[in-house]
Amino acid sequence: MKYILLMTGTKVGVESYLAWSQKDRDAHMTVLERIAKELTSSGEFVTTQGLAGPEEANVVRGEKGGMPVTDGVFPESKEFLLGYWIVDVATRERAYAIAGRISAAPGPGGMPTNMPIEVRGFATYPGPGSDRR
Amino acid sequence: MKFILMMTAKKADWDEYTKWSKGDLERNVAFMRAFSKELKDSGVFVATEGLAWPGEAKMVHAGKNGEPITDGVFPESKEFLAGYWIIDVESPEQAYKIAARVSAAPGSGGKSGSVPVEVRPVLGSHADLGL
Repeated sequence: MKYILLMTGTKVGVESYLAWSQKDRDAHMTVLERIAKELTSSGEFVTTQGLAGPEEANVVRGEKGGMPVTDGVFPESKEFLLGYWIVDVATRERAYAIAGRISAAPGPGGMPTNMPIEVRGFATYPGPGSDRR
Repeated sequence: MKFILMMTAKKADWDEYTKWSKGDLERNVAFMRAFSKELKDSGVFVATEGLAWPGEAKMVHAGKNGEPITDGVFPESKEFLAGYWIIDVESPEQAYKIAARVSAAPGSGGKSGSVPVEVRPVLGSHADLGL
């Protein structure tokens, strides 16, 4: 079963991450890279992707005639997707365990970030977005 | 340049979606299929996924010993990711144009939903953050 692990954060959260020391960031990335490597070895890794910063985000709407209307203003509370992992695991619990490990990755001073990771399956019904029907 | 196009919706929006008529659903799905095919035919398609319903979402964080602690309670205002497309295009403007097309997908009553689509570059590597 495939699950997606979503890491989100507000602009304030991203700003505080950018203020981490280089050493803290390196320690954090080393753990995330190790997790990806382990998932690859165990055959559970599907894909991972990091997104650009919130300041590069735009919301687009289609106006009459299909013209794109862009807007880059977001409420302070907006949760931006920072990145995701897709894993193919035997059980839902295994997906939670992997999300727990990502959440436990070290933050400032080597303390776990404890970031919440949203875990969800994929659409198996004919809904918007999926082309796997 | 790779961009991600994200569609998000609150639980109330998902509840609304379940009330669409069969004809409206079919028109929407037909559009989405044609849209994906067009992206593939024009060579800009990288990936797309549709996510399961918010009812299946869990928040996980690590407990003291690293064990996962799950929570399935979310605020009403929470925007859930409904699905995404990753495209590889020449410019942000091209990405916005494509996003506008999917924003104008037929909704309830066959009318354009004009749903907001968030567009953002994806990172080739962590170094792209400029750290």
